[in-house]
Amino acid sequence: MITETETPDDAPKKALIYICGACQAENEMKPKDPIRCRECGYRIMYKKRTKRCILLK
Amino acid sequence: MVEVLRDKEFLVKEYLETRGLYSHHINSFNAFIDSDLKKIIQQNHSVRSDADPNFYLHFKNVTVGHPQVDDGFNVTRNVTPQECRLRDLTYCAPIYVDIEYVKSGMKYLRKGFIIGRLPIMLRSNRCCLYQKSDAELAKMKECIYDSGGYFIVKGTEKVILMQEQPAKNKILVEKDSNGVPTVQVMSSTVDKKSKTNIIFKKNLIYVCHNALEENIPFVIFMKALGVCSDQLILQMVGTEFAIMNQMYPCFLESSKLNIYTQKQALRFIGDRIKKMGFTSEDYDSRVITEVHDFLSTVILAHIPVTNTNYHMKAIYTSIMVRRLIFSLSNPDLFDSKDYYGNKCLDLPGSFLSLLFDDTFKRFTFELKSVADKNIPKVKATPFDIIKYIRTDTITNALVFAIQTGNWSIKRFRMERHGVTQVLTRLSYLSAIGMMTRVNSQFEKSRKVSGPRSLQPSQFGMLCPSDTPEGEACGLIKNISLLAHVTTESEDDDAVLQLALDLGVEPVGLYSVNDLHEDYMYLIIFNGNIIGSTNKCIDFVEKFRRCRRKGIFSKFISIYISERHKCIYINSGDGRLCRPYIVVENGQPLLTNDHIDDLKRGYCTFQDFIDQSLIEFIDVDEENNCLIAYNEEKIVPETTHMEMAPFSILGICASVIPFPHHNQSPRNTYQCAMGKQAIGTIALNYQHRIDTLQYNLWYTHIPMVHSKAVPMINYDKLPAGQNATIAVMSYSGYDIEDAIILNKASVDRGFGRGGTFRNSKCFLRHYPNQMMDSIQGPIIDNATKKPIYKHRALENDGIAAIGQPVFDKQVTINKATPKTITVEDVGGDRGFKETPLFYKGYDPSYIDKVMITSNSDCFLIKENFRQPRRPEIGDKFSSRHGQKGVVGLIVEQEDMPFNEVGICPDLIMNPHGFPSRMTVGKLIELLAGKAGLLEGKFQDGSAFGGATVTDISNELQKHNYNYLGKDVLYCGIDGRPMEAYIYSGPVFYQRLKHMVADKIHARSRGPRVLLTRQPTEGRSKDGGLRMGEMERDCLIAYGASMLIIERLMLSSDVVEMDVCKLCGLFSYSGWCHMCQKSNSVCRIKMPYACKLLFQELQAMSIVPKISLKKYCD
Repeated sequence: MITETETPDDAPKKALIYICGACQAENEMKPKDPIRCRECGYRIMYKKRTKRCILLK
Repeated sequence: MVEVLRDKEFLVKEYLETRGLYSHHINSFNAFIDSDLKKIIQQNHSVRSDADPNFYLHFKNVTVGHPQVDDGFNVTRNVTPQECRLRDLTYCAPIYVDIEYVKSGMKYLRKGFIIGRLPIMLRSNRCCLYQKSDAELAKMKECIYDSGGYFIVKGTEKVILMQEQPAKNKILVEKDSNGVPTVQVMSSTVDKKSKTNIIFKKNLIYVCHNALEENIPFVIFMKALGVCSDQLILQMVGTEFAIMNQMYPCFLESSKLNIYTQKQALRFIGDRIKKMGFTSEDYDSRVITEVHDFLSTVILAHIPVTNTNYHMKAIYTSIMVRRLIFSLSNPDLFDSKDYYGNKCLDLPGSFLSLLFDDTFKRFTFELKSVADKNIPKVKATPFDIIKYIRTDTITNALVFAIQTGNWSIKRFRMERHGVTQVLTRLSYLSAIGMMTRVNSQFEKSRKVSGPRSLQPSQFGMLCPSDTPEGEACGLIKNISLLAHVTTESEDDDAVLQLALDLGVEPVGLYSVNDLHEDYMYLIIFNGNIIGSTNKCIDFVEKFRRCRRKGIFSKFISIYISERHKCIYINSGDGRLCRPYIVVENGQPLLTNDHIDDLKRGYCTFQDFIDQSLIEFIDVDEENNCLIAYNEEKIVPETTHMEMAPFSILGICASVIPFPHHNQSPRNTYQCAMGKQAIGTIALNYQHRIDTLQYNLWYTHIPMVHSKAVPMINYDKLPAGQNATIAVMSYSGYDIEDAIILNKASVDRGFGRGGTFRNSKCFLRHYPNQMMDSIQGPIIDNATKKPIYKHRALENDGIAAIGQPVFDKQVTINKATPKTITVEDVGGDRGFKETPLFYKGYDPSYIDKVMITSNSDCFLIKENFRQPRRPEIGDKFSSRHGQKGVVGLIVEQEDMPFNEVGICPDLIMNPHGFPSRMTVGKLIELLAGKAGLLEGKFQDGSAFGGATVTDISNELQKHNYNYLGKDVLYCGIDGRPMEAYIYSGPVFYQRLKHMVADKIHARSRGPRVLLTRQPTEGRSKDGGLRMGEMERDCLIAYGASMLIIERLMLSSDVVEMDVCKLCGLFSYSGWCHMCQKSNSVCRIKMPYACKLLFQELQAMSIVPKISLKKYCD
């Protein structure tokens, strides 16, 4: 029997690393942080490629 | 003998490089910013108030800044177009004005005040890409081959298409829809537009105008203009016998009406002007002023009138009548509306200036009404108009218009839709093809062939091939490679002065009788008579010399019309023109030395224009020129020579090799298909997040190109691959244009591509301080892994980059607050899930995820990549309108091969050739093969390029068959084939229509709520419709039970209770009508039928069902 539970809301969400679209600097951001590169102030961030093992068929 | 100029196409290349391919859009926008904008603000520069005569507000000195973005807290920053695309922003720049205004009796001056933001055209002189080097463009993530000429509004690229319009201020003699001969003038000035007709009806001549309730007899009109003597009127029109004959009844009529003096005539017209309700006392004087106003500003509005001196108007009308009378006896004199000199092209600049004029007028009007309202009020602080200036009036109006394409200008009662279109980025060719498109305002539904057919005057200006098929055929056109659209010139005063200096005499100096003498030519400048001359050839000659000397703009045209006995000088905008090499005394002025200098970079193309070795000739002036096709054709009378014959084609048609060998509709088909071919859309395609982007991974430069291909950069951003084809039959899976693909070729990357799709979501702030949130994946308790739906998500609730996502998986796990309004502050703080799903039969990979913030919310965009290998049913086409779908993909082992082991990538059925007559494709194959052997690209330019003899000789040199045929061996049994097979490389395009996007099947599935029938369409997982025609087949066959099954049982069957006594619906086995239960029967019927009955009942119509035993 599969049961589904929600992740507890108050558990600290892991901050992930995002890459600045202008200077490629790695920024650690938490949800609701303003989106702004700490190095250059650019406002477009990209997600970093996952470290998961991905099998391409 | 004339020396032959070598490499003339180099001129075309230089020209396109220095000027840019799409300069007409950009030039017109620059002209709008640099001059029109200033003029508009100057014209409406002051705001005054009725409440306080001392109050004023003046706008002066307008400038437009560089594109900026507001990052909140009044921080602005320069922005690049790419950032606007990604962040869904508008690429716009502030409009600064200096304002002078009165506040509490004092004069104040504010400099650089922002009154609004103007969307900026890419690559215009306000754009940050203007005159940037390739490296700088690459740094801004912009494609160096991008055309520019479009706007970015809220992240989408919008183009204001060129519109074709009847030319303004021209006298056109025509027959109207009832066959009545008419002279028509569309007058257009900065602030007035009007249409004046003079018609010939029942042997009489009338003046008609919208503002008139009925037609005014011409003679009376002339009398109102102050020409009272009948003799003078006749002399103005002309004293030829034919004219006198036609005029006689007109004079008779005016005397019958008892009108002899100007005052009588004015009163006569006054009685017929619409909307005048004056009382009898002041009637006379007011009517007269009203008519004077009408005569000076409404009728023939483009002719200026000073102090009720209507002399020019009288002459102009009499010339209109003269032309009308002459064309009665000589039908050749009727003008054609379709002649391209009678058309003009409206460019983005003129659309924007219309719009800006209107919004700026509204803006000043709003300020005035604010001032009127607030000045009388006594307040603690003095009235400060600055506080009431709202920048968003202008910004929003402009942005809204460009975004929706709805141009509504109240002043001209103009209500136009679809002025702007989204730039299609299917392929590079489709994007740049859009910049040359000309839209016609003509109704698509009308069945007249005139406006659709190719007019001789369009030669060299509009592409003869590039037009859509179907209803818009011939109405949407494309301008040719070399065609140039003029923008308004600034030299009008210089031209006028020059004309006078060259001996033009004002018409007032002549007696009206002399004007019609044989030697007399009227000079008409932009539709206005400026004078006349008796030395017309001499005048035109001198005028052209002055133009060549550069005394005024090179784009001002002059031509003599023998038919009209007029010399027309035009400096207006929207005329099509084209550069030609000037020929004098049988010798082209441009020599080989010049071209060599150009090649070495000692001079530029502009120098040739400045030195008038090359001259721009517009459609009208072409009538006075004798243009030689090449050096051989030059005769002593020749005035100009063609630069390169292939330049008569447009961008899309330039890609076709040997188009002059193809049947013309094939070239038209290719023009449409080239835009659907997938390839590399731009150099920055990896940085773009479009709603849909197609890509071909391993694109080739075509083996056979034309000279125009490098000029339009199709070799840098190609869309297709050189496939080795064999023209033969194979397996029967190649009938009806199907093609056979080699599986090994597909494995090696032939036709391999991919699609990118995006999905975006906003995280909004709500009035109750709540905000959308993204939640992490739900973990299954037993396995400690995310549930299937959330398998793609990472801890931040957004899918992982590189992760494959399957149908119904969540890619952004968004949640919205349950309560959002202000009243709910402190209410339910819970969230409801509003995730973004991935939908599709095949999985996609997450390519990139972009996170950014707009002014008020966060924006997340995801890009999905889906690899697309060619499969059966995918569409391919060569560049000759020869499309076909993949019928079979064959293992290489089974493919035919030649003695050295070359195996075709693609097999095409020879039945495609005889009826389509695409000889160009045969030559392309031959040339391509020779090119392979020589190791060089072949030239397939229109009206030039390699010849079949040369190509055949080259093949022979390499020990190949002279005719391009090969001995092939059967791939299945290994025996040589019984025929020689025509084989070699042909450039194939993969078209965007792919099976993966269209595949659809369903058994059971979603239904429409209202009718309970299956939904419609692939996107809604809809059913496959059995329509009327399929139903007809079943009826004819007599398969009645099958009809019932298809139409009812498998669709919207419902079991209903029906009372057999009253015939109405019963419910739960009880008839409410009859108050009985034993009369109730249960039947099956379509839900739609039940619905209809109930709806009828709701309208008090009672449908009754009478029941009968089914089998008795």
